[in-house]
Amino acid sequence: MNMWRRIRAMGLWHELVLAGLLAGLLAGAWYFEQTRGAEFVSWETQTALSSHMWEMALLSVPLTLIIISGGIDLSVGAIMSLSAVTMGLAWQAGMGVWPAVGLTLAAGLTAGAMNGTFVVFLGVHPLIVTLGTMSAYRGIAEGLIGAEPVSQFPAGFLAMSEPLVAGLPPAGILFVVLAIAAGVLLGRTAAGRELRAIGYNETTARFSGVAVARTKLLLYTASGLVSAVAAVLFVARRDTAKADVGAGLELTAITAVVLGGTSIFGGRGRIGGTVLGVLLLHEVRSLVAWRWNRDELTFIIVGAMLILSVLVHSVLTRRKS
Amino acid sequence: MSPRSVLSRLAGREAGVAALWLATVAAVGMVNPDFLRAANLHAIFVKCAPVVIVACGVTLVIVTGEIDISVGSLMGLLAVAGGIVTSPDRMGLSPQAGAAAVLAAGAGIGLLTGLLVTLGRVPSIIVTLGMLTALRGLTRVLMGGRWIESIPPSLRVLSIGSTLGVRNCLWVAMAVLALTVVLAHLTPLGRRIYAVGSSPRAAALAGLSSRRIKVFAFAFTGFLTGVATLAGQLEVGTIEPDIGQGFELLVVTCVVVGGTSIRGGVGTVIGSALAAILMMTIGTALVFLKLGASASYWERAIQGAFILLAVLTDQLSRRRGTGEDTL
Repeated sequence: MNMWRRIRAMGLWHELVLAGLLAGLLAGAWYFEQTRGAEFVSWETQTALSSHMWEMALLSVPLTLIIISGGIDLSVGAIMSLSAVTMGLAWQAGMGVWPAVGLTLAAGLTAGAMNGTFVVFLGVHPLIVTLGTMSAYRGIAEGLIGAEPVSQFPAGFLAMSEPLVAGLPPAGILFVVLAIAAGVLLGRTAAGRELRAIGYNETTARFSGVAVARTKLLLYTASGLVSAVAAVLFVARRDTAKADVGAGLELTAITAVVLGGTSIFGGRGRIGGTVLGVLLLHEVRSLVAWRWNRDELTFIIVGAMLILSVLVHSVLTRRKS
Repeated sequence: MSPRSVLSRLAGREAGVAALWLATVAAVGMVNPDFLRAANLHAIFVKCAPVVIVACGVTLVIVTGEIDISVGSLMGLLAVAGGIVTSPDRMGLSPQAGAAAVLAAGAGIGLLTGLLVTLGRVPSIIVTLGMLTALRGLTRVLMGGRWIESIPPSLRVLSIGSTLGVRNCLWVAMAVLALTVVLAHLTPLGRRIYAVGSSPRAAALAGLSSRRIKVFAFAFTGFLTGVATLAGQLEVGTIEPDIGQGFELLVVTCVVVGGTSIRGGVGTVIGSALAAILMMTIGTALVFLKLGASASYWERAIQGAFILLAVLTDQLSRRRGTGEDTL
């Protein structure tokens, strides 16, 4: 009981529940494969099944920081689309592939900075700003590229999707690095504390001398840049650049972040939770797809998990008034 | 709210959206007079009907200070449910049973959402994000990998039929709009919806149960999603798996462009309906401008520009008016 209280005091119960669910899931899968002779719980299967999860995982890191600061970014999928189209058109126009990557990153950075500018200097609610820019960015991407996807990128560029270390592709390694960096930023630095302060109470934070405008601008710009990186990695993995890249990914990434215990109202949240949220989301999806070959069940499970995780939390933390 | 203050409210954002729509129609009409033909305008309004119907509910939800982004998935689920109940390949029951199933399931799921938000104290964006995902999965499970075919025309009468030369879905949309305007501005319940949204604390101190009012708004939205399914989604006798996808964000966009504040308390269903008409006109307008085949790919970009424009003008006028810098 004492230990339970300490865990609750540290606020780690959410991570524990997620880790427990993840362990239970893998244990169940392992038990099943004893009778069937197939291997789900192995590093080879796991890395093979994970190739398509890294883009969503990357998006979830800056998104966690944004949600902790009390904001939201619905446009990350659309920025991926705009970036992928930039990449495709630049390559098609005869630009070298690496300069094209640079231009793509610049496009994502600009799109993110635009979001930040709207949020900061116009004081419009980020949900509305990014709902608008979501349509605008994906619309521009659709308008620019039309119906014809661009493909046949050079082999040196496509090699970016090959496994690099321990079966992980560069995207996976980048996610690990990014998650650790964001975790340190959030848990160990003054900037991280300021971020939480903005999420808890923006006015108080401003009067306490926190550079609210600069922090927000940086957050949305970083989110745009990471979305562009995810787009480049997507294009390298699939050898195709088109306007529907990243469609719906914003909602999946937000699901992972919230599943990880970050409060949608800001102030409370951890990168560790997001990492577990991403893994759990991915494991449920791949297990159901791998074992039953039925993708539709995962939608039900993920939706129910999202609502239940917050419901259980609200029931457990309800103050007796 | 008295009818006069309803009128004075309409003078703001609603007039702006209506003017923008008239300007769009006039400009496209000058380039291509065919655009102004009654049949074409009628076709545009038909496209608007389901958006307007659902936007009536979502406007009320947003006015209470909550949000609903699950209506697209719910619409897909309800269409499939109606199809399964009535299609001779599946259960083959009467169209009355099918319509009742669609409306009851819509209201029931809306009620569940409302209870999770109020009693469960789960933020509405989380509940409806979860519903968006879960209901989409449920739809696919119900379909069982096959399309639903041969839905009887008697269930589709609101989607395909006409009365007095006007499509039935338009009559339904106008009736829903009129009903919701009366509900929002001329009944105690409507006043409470605005009270709860504009100041939850003052409303609570005045003895209003925000829970009941919010549960009503969600259940009403679910019910209207059922109405919109019957009136707008059953034009053809088959249902595809991704029916309704993206509809939720279109509806929220129209509500916001129509002047409803995401923070609650402010906004009218008339504004949402006008914004829906504006948004749905753009796609057809691009075709009539004859800018070539690639022009229609810019539809979404122009919609996005209108959203940002609406937010910008709103913010600038607000700043000038009150010195406040928040939405």
